[in-house]
Amino acid sequence: MRRFILLVAGLALFSCNRVLELKPTDKIRAEDLFGDPAGVKLYMANLYYQLPIEDFTYFRAGFNQNGGDPNNGGFAPAMVTDEAVHSEFGDFIGNNDFAWWEPAYKLIRDVNILSDAIPSLSITEDEKKALTGESAFIKAFAYFGLAKRYGGVPLIKSTQKYEGDVESLKVPRSTEKETWDYVMEQCDLAIASLGEGTGRRATKWTACALKSRAALHAASVAKFGPRATMSGDAVTQQLIGLDASAANSYYDASIKASEMLMASGKFGLYEPDPASPEVAAENYRKMFQDPNTAAIEAIFIKGFTLPGNNQGHNYDIWYQPAQVANGWPHPGRMNPTLDLVDLYERYDNPGQPAPVVTTAEGNVNDYNGYNPALNYIRFDTPNDIFKGKDARLWGTAILPGTSFKETPIIIQAGFVKPDGQAVIRTNDQVTVNGATYYTYGAPSTTMYSGFDTYGGNNTRSGFSFKKFMNQASPITAGWNQSTSDFMEFRFAEILLNYAEAVVESGQGDAAAAAKALNDIRKRAGHTVNIPLTAANVQRERRVELAFENKRYWDLIRRREYHTEFNNRMMHALLPLLDLRALPARKYIFVRANVPNANSKTFEPKLYYKPIPGIGANGLVQNPQY
Amino acid sequence: MKKMIICMAALVFMACEKDNYDGPNAALSGSFIDAETKALVEQDIIRGTTIEIAEHGYDPVEKQILIVKNDGTYANSLLFANTYTVQPVRGNFIDVAPQDVQISGNTTLDFTVVPYIRIKEASIVKNGTTVVATFKLQQNVTTHVKKIGLYAHQDSRVGEPMRFVAAESEINAVVDPNHVYTLSIDLPSNSSQLKPGKSYYFRVGAVIDNGDAKFNYAPVVQLDI
Repeated sequence: MRRFILLVAGLALFSCNRVLELKPTDKIRAEDLFGDPAGVKLYMANLYYQLPIEDFTYFRAGFNQNGGDPNNGGFAPAMVTDEAVHSEFGDFIGNNDFAWWEPAYKLIRDVNILSDAIPSLSITEDEKKALTGESAFIKAFAYFGLAKRYGGVPLIKSTQKYEGDVESLKVPRSTEKETWDYVMEQCDLAIASLGEGTGRRATKWTACALKSRAALHAASVAKFGPRATMSGDAVTQQLIGLDASAANSYYDASIKASEMLMASGKFGLYEPDPASPEVAAENYRKMFQDPNTAAIEAIFIKGFTLPGNNQGHNYDIWYQPAQVANGWPHPGRMNPTLDLVDLYERYDNPGQPAPVVTTAEGNVNDYNGYNPALNYIRFDTPNDIFKGKDARLWGTAILPGTSFKETPIIIQAGFVKPDGQAVIRTNDQVTVNGATYYTYGAPSTTMYSGFDTYGGNNTRSGFSFKKFMNQASPITAGWNQSTSDFMEFRFAEILLNYAEAVVESGQGDAAAAAKALNDIRKRAGHTVNIPLTAANVQRERRVELAFENKRYWDLIRRREYHTEFNNRMMHALLPLLDLRALPARKYIFVRANVPNANSKTFEPKLYYKPIPGIGANGLVQNPQY
Repeated sequence: MKKMIICMAALVFMACEKDNYDGPNAALSGSFIDAETKALVEQDIIRGTTIEIAEHGYDPVEKQILIVKNDGTYANSLLFANTYTVQPVRGNFIDVAPQDVQISGNTTLDFTVVPYIRIKEASIVKNGTTVVATFKLQQNVTTHVKKIGLYAHQDSRVGEPMRFVAAESEINAVVDPNHVYTLSIDLPSNSSQLKPGKSYYFRVGAVIDNGDAKFNYAPVVQLDI
């Protein structure tokens, strides 16, 4: 009892002091964190990490798939487009693939905490302006990531506080128009507030690049929406879809943002004037192996500095050809399609796609496989058939018989025996005049990279993957060991955005747009200018930006997915050694459906993804979910 | 200790009563019937007509979606008995209004509809190395007929969304009900998909240019090729 009295007395005496003014020791106050440049840097690193950048760690399950167990089979976004197939998987797009909802609102909350605190910070006005611009850039990026997936979404413009009433936290969806306009507004705020420097944090220029891309997306949805009419509550409430009348103002916004970058004097195309197509191919490849060598072209780089979980990425182990796997058991997963390869122009026929012609008859729509009745054209090497095609093909794909890491990459689907009988994709060998010939071009699985189903390690399209691959060092056989950097925005995309916005809307400077288109082609070794047409812009965009995770969104925003992918088989090119030509070594090629694959059909409802948790959040669901 | 046992026992006994709801033991089934010909209205399973049902008593409620079989019938035998708002949506017929239906036991609900397009006098025959389809179209709305097609697949649920081979023709016009349309598939040039000596299913269809309207079909035909 006496002790108790003492205790009470003690409390009473002390409590008069500052007990109510104690600072919590488990929390950092906004003014402490953001008042210190080091604190801002730390907080910013976390925000940038959460940005929806579709880089080397972006897969079906979402962003930053480079944690402790990133084993997703290497199924890249390119494999649900017409750019590539996986060496084994035949999957297409699931409802929740590439979704980004909860992480989006987490990022939005984190950035709102920052932007709400800015007015109360004791920092200079210039510093406040820079922070305002940076947080606007992050908000724009986040809502762009949401709008292109879900249409109109709840706009949470400042931090929500929970005060015991859950209902008050529920914010209904804004219309798709309001959502895009909010993205535009935040881009404009960022452009007006940010400095003109360069670097890896947001600048005025990265904000322009974001606006160029986002506005083009919105404009396309408005213009091409009628290609895929939808119905349901979300449509009648305008939560998805834009009126066609909105197209031109978004195209105009994209044009203006691109023009700012084009007039900035800070950016240009890397190596714009190559001496030959061979040089152009190597320049193009080098730019992606290390974007830092192409500082003039790179507007915004996401760096991968250290190997390790949550730091490095897995592009090299998944996608380099089997022959250079260096002990890694699962290489060779990215197989560029013949459909993409066909698209690259020939220098002697500018402005036209150049499907690979394999027979004297010349039918490039025959995918029925080897037919002894046809007159196949014989070539001296497994890649002569591609000679004269756009340099970017050679910089993007590993073609049969070309060299990679000083190793000739062998991609062969079989042979035709001297008696005319073909052996295709069946493990076999034949001895003619003392020499032995193998189906896959070599006797053992470590010596070739094509068509054998062994381990799923060999290409089944006839092409392996080169763009982004690091040739400078051997494969490290483990997770998250690659540290090549990713260009999120580069100048060529801005030029292509500009050309597309001009040609689709008829607004802006058509001559400048044609020049932008042809500058990119010139950098790829072309010498003849082609006219500015919608078809030319789209073909150029597909070959220049291949595998940069743009194609998926191009098919979405232009509402071409459901027509491009309607029972669609992807195609392969089978190189065969023609032993009928012995002693000369000659190759023939067969156009075919990708072996062991099914057709792919896009469901139009997937133009908008399902919103998760509508039972709890009360939001209106997108149609047909 | 004894108190705790009593407490747990109480929980165990109580829990049974609270959870004793009926399982999903009700069924809804029926057909889509052409108002004029009284025939079933052919459908697609993939990307076909759907029926949205919204269970009463919950707000917000996630709509359940029933798909319709190719022959124009549908059934779902795992529903909770309750009142539902039922409406066929995104169909191949003129819109049907929503209706409230008490579903319990085996509830049957047929929809009498006017298909956007009736495919008349359809014939699909093998003629040498070609499969030839002929048919007439009768449209029941004023918008354009967008496209017609002949589709082939190894499964009887063949249609525009599910086919190995298609012969299609863009129409984009109002059609003359007396015009005979002809579509054909050349077999040798599709030999990797339609293999000689096997049997395949064929169906002709047409789609109206009206929002997300679905294809109308004539009944499926099986041919040995």
